[in-house]
Amino acid sequence: MRLALAVVSLLVMIGSGVVVYDQFHSRWEDNQRAYFHQALEQAKTPAERASLEGRQPKIEQTIVTAFGETRIDRCQSCHIAVDDPRLTSAKQPLKTHPYSAAMGDVFRNGRWERRHKFSDFGCTLCHDGQGRGLDAADAHGEDPFWPSPMIGYTIQDRWSKETAGHLRGADFIQAKCVQCHADKDFAGTPLVKRGRELFFKTGCFGCHRIEGLSSGTIGPDLTEVGNERKLDYLWGHIVDPRAYTATSVMPQFKLSDDDKKALVIFLKSRRGASMSESSVDQFRMQTSTTNPVPESVAVVAAAITKASTPAARGEQLIQGYACLSCHKVADHDGGISPDLSYEGIIRDQPWLIDHFNNPRSRVPDSNMPAFGLPESDFADMAAYLMTRTAPPPAMTPAETFKTLCARCHGEKGDGKGINAIYIDPAPRDLTKAEFMTTKPETRFLTSIDQGVPGTSMPPWDKVLTDEQIKGVFDYISKNIVREPQKQLKPRKVPEQNPVPMSAESAQRGQAIFTQRCIGCHGRKADGRGPNSLDISPRPRNLRNSAFIHNTPDRRLTESILYGVEGTAMPSWMDYGLTQSDVGDIVNYIRSLNTTGK
Amino acid sequence: MAAPPKSIECEECKDKQIPRRNFLAILSGVGVAGSLLAGVFSSFVFMKPRVTYGQPNRFLIGRPEDFPPGARLAIDTKRVCIVREGDKVAAISTTCTHLGCIVAPSATGFQCPCHGSQFDVDGNVTGGPAPKALSWFAVTLTPSGELEVDKDNEIQTGTYLSV
Amino acid sequence: MSDEVNSKWKNVMNFPTNVVKSIFRNPLPSSDRGRAATSFTNFFLHIQPVRVSRQALRPTYTMGLGLISFFLFVILTVTGVLLMFYYVPSTTQAYGRMLDLRSSVAFGVILRNMHRWAAHAMVATVFLHMCRVFFTGSYKPPREFNWLIGVALFLLTLLSSFTGYLLPWDQLAFWAITVGTSIAGYAPLVGKELKFILLGDATVGQEALLRFYVLHVVVLPLVLTLFVAVHFWRIRKDGGLAKPEEAEGVPVLAAAGAAVEQPSRRFSIQGLVRGPFVKIGNLEEDTVFSWPNLLIAELFVLLLTIAGVMIVSFLFNAPLEQPVNVMHPPNPAKAPWYFLGLQEQVSYSAFWGGIGIPGIELLLLVLLPYFDRGKEGVGSWFARQRILANSLFLVFVIANVILIVIGTFFRGANWQFVSPF
Repeated sequence: MRLALAVVSLLVMIGSGVVVYDQFHSRWEDNQRAYFHQALEQAKTPAERASLEGRQPKIEQTIVTAFGETRIDRCQSCHIAVDDPRLTSAKQPLKTHPYSAAMGDVFRNGRWERRHKFSDFGCTLCHDGQGRGLDAADAHGEDPFWPSPMIGYTIQDRWSKETAGHLRGADFIQAKCVQCHADKDFAGTPLVKRGRELFFKTGCFGCHRIEGLSSGTIGPDLTEVGNERKLDYLWGHIVDPRAYTATSVMPQFKLSDDDKKALVIFLKSRRGASMSESSVDQFRMQTSTTNPVPESVAVVAAAITKASTPAARGEQLIQGYACLSCHKVADHDGGISPDLSYEGIIRDQPWLIDHFNNPRSRVPDSNMPAFGLPESDFADMAAYLMTRTAPPPAMTPAETFKTLCARCHGEKGDGKGINAIYIDPAPRDLTKAEFMTTKPETRFLTSIDQGVPGTSMPPWDKVLTDEQIKGVFDYISKNIVREPQKQLKPRKVPEQNPVPMSAESAQRGQAIFTQRCIGCHGRKADGRGPNSLDISPRPRNLRNSAFIHNTPDRRLTESILYGVEGTAMPSWMDYGLTQSDVGDIVNYIRSLNTTGK
Repeated sequence: MAAPPKSIECEECKDKQIPRRNFLAILSGVGVAGSLLAGVFSSFVFMKPRVTYGQPNRFLIGRPEDFPPGARLAIDTKRVCIVREGDKVAAISTTCTHLGCIVAPSATGFQCPCHGSQFDVDGNVTGGPAPKALSWFAVTLTPSGELEVDKDNEIQTGTYLSV
Repeated sequence: MSDEVNSKWKNVMNFPTNVVKSIFRNPLPSSDRGRAATSFTNFFLHIQPVRVSRQALRPTYTMGLGLISFFLFVILTVTGVLLMFYYVPSTTQAYGRMLDLRSSVAFGVILRNMHRWAAHAMVATVFLHMCRVFFTGSYKPPREFNWLIGVALFLLTLLSSFTGYLLPWDQLAFWAITVGTSIAGYAPLVGKELKFILLGDATVGQEALLRFYVLHVVVLPLVLTLFVAVHFWRIRKDGGLAKPEEAEGVPVLAAAGAAVEQPSRRFSIQGLVRGPFVKIGNLEEDTVFSWPNLLIAELFVLLLTIAGVMIVSFLFNAPLEQPVNVMHPPNPAKAPWYFLGLQEQVSYSAFWGGIGIPGIELLLLVLLPYFDRGKEGVGSWFARQRILANSLFLVFVIANVILIVIGTFFRGANWQFVSPF
């Protein structure tokens, strides 16, 4: 025991010694000594030399309270030479901080005078990073838990390699200038200006709200996104939204790297109110009850060159309002939303105006925001679209499929076209033989011919002839479904609902619905029950009035009684539902869809 | 009679064991004392603040051009008075050496409002209860051409910086 | 007159010796009587008996767990007081001060680490000490009340650790305490009130930080110290650590008529303590003097504890996550590890998991020594005679450990099962 005691006590003593020794050798002290050494070499007067020789390293600290939260910046403990103009070509950390007229610095009497003095501004106000840190990793914000790493310089561990590669460079600091210099034409923030233009030109303004700029409600409010998110999130989310938010409906826009960078810088600059706005102005903006008209409206209107006809004006508006960042017209293709090249043949003016005013009035689960543009603009844009009447050239059925159908249904017909994830209900997976072979051919031909109201499937009857449509369908059967039509046993389905419509019937239907159907179709019968995420195709939204109105009782009854092969809809007849029960359910569904055409 | 228990002194055992015990005891003593010393020392180093959160004692006051010759500018927030004579600059403390009030520049030098101490233009005591002269602080010219006052560095009365 | 001068001169010459003698009345002992006197006459040492059984000193008997717990408490107090010189319990300043401890404060990193790891270690060793006491049957009469005090100490340790957990005011702290206090809120009748008093507000905020700080720094250490003092006192009065021979019934007090041998030693009454009776004519052969044997053992455990804490603190940094963001709860939000077993149980049933089952476990612990009073098997590990009790307790321990392991490693986002590999 005595031996053990002796050993342990010596161990503790040595350990304490190590700890104490470790404490007294810091990198920042070495940096300062190196600076004193260099300054000594360049010293001109004996007084200067004397003061440098006696100088001991000390923690250099700036406390900034003028700009919101108290900042304590110790960056100058290592970067001690930032204000010494003799070290402009030294290596970091002993390098002089650059002077430039762009930052407001003035060259006078043979020397530069700094506008943004470190004693007034500190360092992290512009550069981000962790001001209190005293070693490089800490101070630069490399710790993944630190919310604001040094902007344009520090990469944190969790950032993916491809993203991180795009996030280096002095340009990113422009996002911080905006805190005070909020003027959108400020010379020092050209990338913020470009990002702001892209915010409108790419259509972001339609889904996202930024206080004072736009009032979209589909995506999250981005007024303070610069405070909430780091650069890697902003970039990565634009590149692939679903990698960050699995259920996101945000499109993957086609943007060049430069454009992405400008957008990211613009978004990073969104930190809520700017410090240069008075608190009265901020209050006024926050409590305003009118939605701000997006700048784009004024900007686009101003940019319209001489347009003689509404259609010509409409064409310029369509290009100005970012429609083509999602849609396709002629050669411009956003790759996200339907092809409008034949819109003049497929749709009519009233349909287009309704859709412009509120896309969900025509397609209840549409992803497209209601942009809230002026009525006259919508009218002109509709006029332009109505001029898209040139029919497609003569093509083989395969080519027709590829040109007209593959955008949604996918080249292989598997329902995975480039538009597919943005469309609800999703485009039909035509390779699902079990579905395709158990429905009558007429149903499919009608779908192509008349479209499917309430969905994004347009009527092709004016674009394609009946033979062409049949040709496409045969192509699908032969090359995509590839299985012969199945013969089903005859079914007993009434043409019309035998149970008359009444409040009691609808109530009974609701009771059965609540008991049996809500797991998939949801409590509100909108197709969003808890099981719905795991099923493909998703359960039908039974509040889609346009769709339900277009679906006869016979089909509704048959789907419930016999199920829908190739989907998860079971045959409820096998689970004890009688025709009368089904009649009640159909009445309930109809009672949910009393409005609309 | 029962055999004597082991714990009673045994003459032979004593002679053999005690040197080893002593050695181990000394080692343990050294270890414990050393650790204690290290601990106490570290505690004192720990307790002495390396940064403070109030006013810094080294600060910039501007460029030499901001102080025309003959200027005597009192900066109350920093408790210092900047004096320029021709091409020479000095910084005189405006904290009264009596009990710490802020003295104000007067026609004849400085005057303290609390207990009536009076100082001449160089800060020497000319009247009142103040026990010693106002301190002069080191003023240096930074490489970027600005004047820096260091209140941690007191210099002799009458030492100016030539600019 | 020369006598006066002489005596004054003697005062001067003897000054150092007189100072030392006035403080240390007995010289370093070199005889048994001296060793006994040292234990006896020193303020700090007289909590310990003059002689202590060899069994108590055996490392494999107690593994020093009680001592380790106490020394960890001492380490925590010392490091805690030092940290108090730099920490500010304000929601706007606390995190910044934690950053300062990591950067501008000399020895800030190692002190904070030591405090954190010692805290976690103390929760673990107190629990292990409780297990040791159970498995050696050392809670049986006359030690029932000391067991209760021990249970109280265990709860106080958990509370101390919990209140301290909030102080860094980072995401880890904030949400862990949000979860923990919400579990407390499930208590019937008093739950909501209790939570409100604890937090000083409806949700965790400045009030909670201040209250937890006061509890952590003043109230709980004071109460802990008090209970520890009683705990130590009770050990003495209950006759030291439990030993097997005590189970052999009441020692015979020099039975009348028994052959009385000529005493080979003479004793003068030094004090009366309850415990093993002095057997005249048969000096206990398995005891040793506290000075120096017990002292050496204790010093060894102290230094070992310090060494252990220092090594871990040197190698591993205590966590500091993002600053508090009340809009961004992490997914999952986990209570401190010692409450994760509770949180796992709560995920099945709020009341039973968080209040009901722990309450029953606590009740059983408290009632234990009053219903399990047989003296067989006391003083040795896993005695055959106590196999039922030991097995039940082992099940209880393993179950709780498993729950904590599940909560820590096998639960991920949305409290779904994930693989830790």
